[in-house]
Amino acid sequence: MPLGEIPLGTTTWLILVALGGVLAVDAVSWPQVMISRPLVSATVGGWVLGNASAGFLVGALLELMSLRHPPFGAARYPDTGPAGLVAGCSYAAVGTASLGSLVAAILVGWAVGWIGSVSVQLRRRGNERLLRPEAELAARPELLERRQKAAVRLDAARGALLTAGFLVPAMLAAAWVVDQPESMLATVWGAAMLVTALAAAAGAGGRTSSFGLGGWPLLFAGAAIGGLIVGIFG
Amino acid sequence: MKPLRQDLVAGWWRTFAVQGSWNYRTMIGGGMAFAMLPLLRRIYAGDPVRFSEAVRRHMGAFNAHPYLAGMAVGALARAELDGETPERIERFRSALRGPLGTIGDRLVWATWRPACLLVAIAAFGMGFSPIGSVVLFLATYNAGHIAIRVWGFLRGWREGLGVSRALHERWLNAVPKALAPVILLLLGLDAVLLSRRVLDTVAWDGLFAGLTLVAAFVSLMAFRWPRRTGRIAIALVIAIPLVWLGIAILN
Repeated sequence: MPLGEIPLGTTTWLILVALGGVLAVDAVSWPQVMISRPLVSATVGGWVLGNASAGFLVGALLELMSLRHPPFGAARYPDTGPAGLVAGCSYAAVGTASLGSLVAAILVGWAVGWIGSVSVQLRRRGNERLLRPEAELAARPELLERRQKAAVRLDAARGALLTAGFLVPAMLAAAWVVDQPESMLATVWGAAMLVTALAAAAGAGGRTSSFGLGGWPLLFAGAAIGGLIVGIFG
Repeated sequence: MKPLRQDLVAGWWRTFAVQGSWNYRTMIGGGMAFAMLPLLRRIYAGDPVRFSEAVRRHMGAFNAHPYLAGMAVGALARAELDGETPERIERFRSALRGPLGTIGDRLVWATWRPACLLVAIAAFGMGFSPIGSVVLFLATYNAGHIAIRVWGFLRGWREGLGVSRALHERWLNAVPKALAPVILLLLGLDAVLLSRRVLDTVAWDGLFAGLTLVAAFVSLMAFRWPRRTGRIAIALVIAIPLVWLGIAILN
């Protein structure tokens, strides 16, 4: 697809960058209603560019991969809000007839998620400075309130910057991939991507046992066979 | 002075931003103090010294699952209202950290959220619209999310230092146990339904059954050895385009 044909005007870009901020802030800072999940953010990105189904597909695959990284304690996990948005946009923008562009969108989303994770760590270190000196904040609680709100706003700015930095490059990458001739290797790449997402999902299932909730592999396998029957005959 | 209903509502509402200033030194300590301010202002109205001391106390290191942090906010505010000593409040605060984290992680992050997400993906796989599936996820998930926040805050406020009774309620253990097999069923079903949707997109019908068998095999391996299989699969995904690029350059 010619790069000039990517459907992204300045207004749409600004809307998406603002959305990136809103989606990023939801993950941790406020209000955690899970619009930051890749399933939601990628679908929203696809919808803004006119193809919600494409966004959902990318989001669902990223979601399966993210299930292995729950935010327990101070664990590191991908920043899925802007990542899903960027991935959903890049796949929706180039059309859905290429398995290679789907894989490229997911890989870009995954990379943005982990780069976002690093930016979250940096923000958290910045928050340490925001909450000092404690004695002054305790004596002037209105200052504490301002700092808390400032921390939330800075998180939104971080998400917007992340989206602004990666949205266009991600779309260009997907457009480049879709321009390449579909080879057997591209097909194998797509299959490998799909298997990776499924392996990640299965891994998440396996990890439920670490919560003392049982392994239940037969349920997983049984449901997969049921799904296969639905897939073939449905 | 006893907090008014509006103070309780303000405190509860602020718990949505309890992680806003998350940091490696005090974790959600700043957010806890921020959420408790409307309550502490009323409790210590006319006594700025004790008010400042209380704010400082609650700015200290604390961590909990964000949805259950409201329980700590309510319980600690009740303890302040009841005139408990600072030492007792500090001990109670420390004792709450572990259970509120573990119970919340198990209930919400490990089971409720994946279950709701997987239901939405299954709905899409069975023909629901993408927007409808996302709305289904957000509505279902947040019904549980808001209910947990309201329950936790109110129980904390009512029980004060005795809030550990609430943490032993049967449903907190029963819900994750009941959801675990549901999640695994949905994971298996979604894996196949989603593969079908991906392959439909690229008109790749013929290979569906073959690919699904490979995926099923790898998935079962991943189920048993999550880390190892995941790494091999990711290495494969990264290696293939490099080979692809190499061939393109050589040609």
